[in-house]
Amino acid sequence: MSAGPTPASRTVAVALILLGVGATFTSMNIALDQYGRWGARIFPLAGSLSLVALGLAELWGARGKPAPALDRQHLPAIFALLALAVAYVWVMAQFGYLISTALAAPLALWIFGVRNVIGLLAAAVLCPAAYHLIFFELLGVFPPFGRWFDLLDVFGWY
Amino acid sequence: MEIFPALASVLSDPVLLGWVFLAAIVGMIVGAIPGLTASAAIAMLLPLTFYMEPLPALAFLYVIGKSGRYGGSIAAILFNTPGTAASAATQLDGYPLARQGKAGKAMKVATISSVIGDFIGEILLIVGVAWIAAIALKLGPPELFAVYFAAFIVIGSVIGKSVTRGLASAALGVLVAMIGLDPISSTERFTFGSFDLTNGISLVPLMIGIFVLGEVFAQIEERGKTTEMVPDGNDAMRNRLTWAEYKPCLPHVIRSSFIGSFIGMLPGLGSAIAAFVAYGEGKRRAKNPDDWGKGALEGVAAPEAANNAVSGPSMAPLLTLGIPGSTIGAILIGVFLIHGIQIGPTLFLTSRELVYALFACGLIGIAMYGLIGFYGAAFVGRFITRIPTGVLYPVIFLTSFVAAYTSRGNLFDVDVMVAAGFLGWLMRKLDFNPAAFVISFVLAGGAEEAFRQALLLSDNGMMIFITRPIALLFLLVGLTALAVRVRSLNRQSRAVTLEEAR
Repeated sequence: MSAGPTPASRTVAVALILLGVGATFTSMNIALDQYGRWGARIFPLAGSLSLVALGLAELWGARGKPAPALDRQHLPAIFALLALAVAYVWVMAQFGYLISTALAAPLALWIFGVRNVIGLLAAAVLCPAAYHLIFFELLGVFPPFGRWFDLLDVFGWY
Repeated sequence: MEIFPALASVLSDPVLLGWVFLAAIVGMIVGAIPGLTASAAIAMLLPLTFYMEPLPALAFLYVIGKSGRYGGSIAAILFNTPGTAASAATQLDGYPLARQGKAGKAMKVATISSVIGDFIGEILLIVGVAWIAAIALKLGPPELFAVYFAAFIVIGSVIGKSVTRGLASAALGVLVAMIGLDPISSTERFTFGSFDLTNGISLVPLMIGIFVLGEVFAQIEERGKTTEMVPDGNDAMRNRLTWAEYKPCLPHVIRSSFIGSFIGMLPGLGSAIAAFVAYGEGKRRAKNPDDWGKGALEGVAAPEAANNAVSGPSMAPLLTLGIPGSTIGAILIGVFLIHGIQIGPTLFLTSRELVYALFACGLIGIAMYGLIGFYGAAFVGRFITRIPTGVLYPVIFLTSFVAAYTSRGNLFDVDVMVAAGFLGWLMRKLDFNPAAFVISFVLAGGAEEAFRQALLLSDNGMMIFITRPIALLFLLVGLTALAVRVRSLNRQSRAVTLEEAR
């Protein structure tokens, strides 16, 4: 049910069906209330079964239609950015905001094509300082402290 | 009449006026940057408004939304790249005008038409919203659930290329909203033993992920592309707009404003549909239809008026029923909730002054972006060409992390934001509908509550939705919208197949 061909129809359909089946089983494990009613189950179950039905509809719609190929040219850069995002949160939890941002800022710029070494070094210093000043000093948000080590302990910027 | 004291109160508050002015500039710049939307800017700036009073916070984000819709026309006319989906209709005549050296004239037409459209939409909202709220107060749980059901179906099926993927986006939004404790029985749902998940998924990091980080992922695919401005030639004579030139645009602007206002009231349809419907209708009724698409001023005026007229009325379902009509509405729900303001029909009983003051800020914001745009659109265009996207998007990337953390001071929210960001990019890539996902996430809690309350009221179980006429009407509206959309897509698909066969 689309105006033109949509990318990866069969893969998307199978993914929707699998997700829907998984969610249906999980929904059926939601405990009933004290009167044995399905109250808490109804909406999760409706959402899950809708996914299964929509996956089947997608599969039916994809019959005999060639799906357009997905553009994979930028996938390495996208997965690099995703890896950076996941690593950034992990480093933030272990080493605090300043160190993690000092590492993430030049890497993000590099992924977006910035190759100027002085610019990358400047970003490693200026970005953590600017964000710390705006969010954790001016707005008074409590910063995420590193579990293993935190530069704030050294500088005493609390 | 409450709007006049509200206007006087806002005009006498220089700090509030400063926020509105700042929002007019920020929205215009963000809307004009190709790829960046007002929704992304609002989601990113949302945590900053936690530390503000409710009215400046709401006014700041509301005016960014208005000004951002207009800002899209700057990119469409000056760069031949629509800054927003809606301004793609403006581009059809705006860019040919710019190629003829009349970029300044096209921008003036776009500005005046946007301002008129936005004013008409806002006035209709101000006049009509209290009536809608009064009616909404009389709706019981079965009728409310039927309204939610219709909203899910319309939001999922009407926008985007694929009905199945749009509806699947809505279903995914519902499932994600179910994570956490059941609000009535406190039963755990989809928590998989994780303590963090028992609190549920927070709206703010989810929106920052989908709209901001998702856009950063998408922009990787645009690396290396430069934005170039059409030379305006600084030909003052060619770019001067006279009344004789604008007069033929006026009927199109008025008609399109009403089209935009009507479409704006319907949840999920949004500016892009309004702009294209207004363009099509304008061309159909035009005295010079052959000139449309080649640089007709009316072809700029009609979509711009409709695009901006959506802004005010799209707040009507949000303020009266708690149903966001747009992504910006969904984000504003976050601001209301953070400041402890319960949206829905009772809003007009509990926070009437705040709502009218917000409308007053909207009216003043329209005047502000109109003046800035009329005299400074070309300057904004030149400013945008100087922003290096290789630096802009990494900065947005870093800001999204700190913004997500700031919402609750919790690193789990940052994890949610990263997952939502990747999901947002994947959804765009596979023709799913991120807006339907987020709006359904917001609607799911209210819909479930209404559904379960309706069942408790009922002696016949689900039959309560059939036996109550208003509930039945809304259920039929939803199903009819779905049937019409499927039929229209099937026709388009057959036309494409026939075209290919030739």
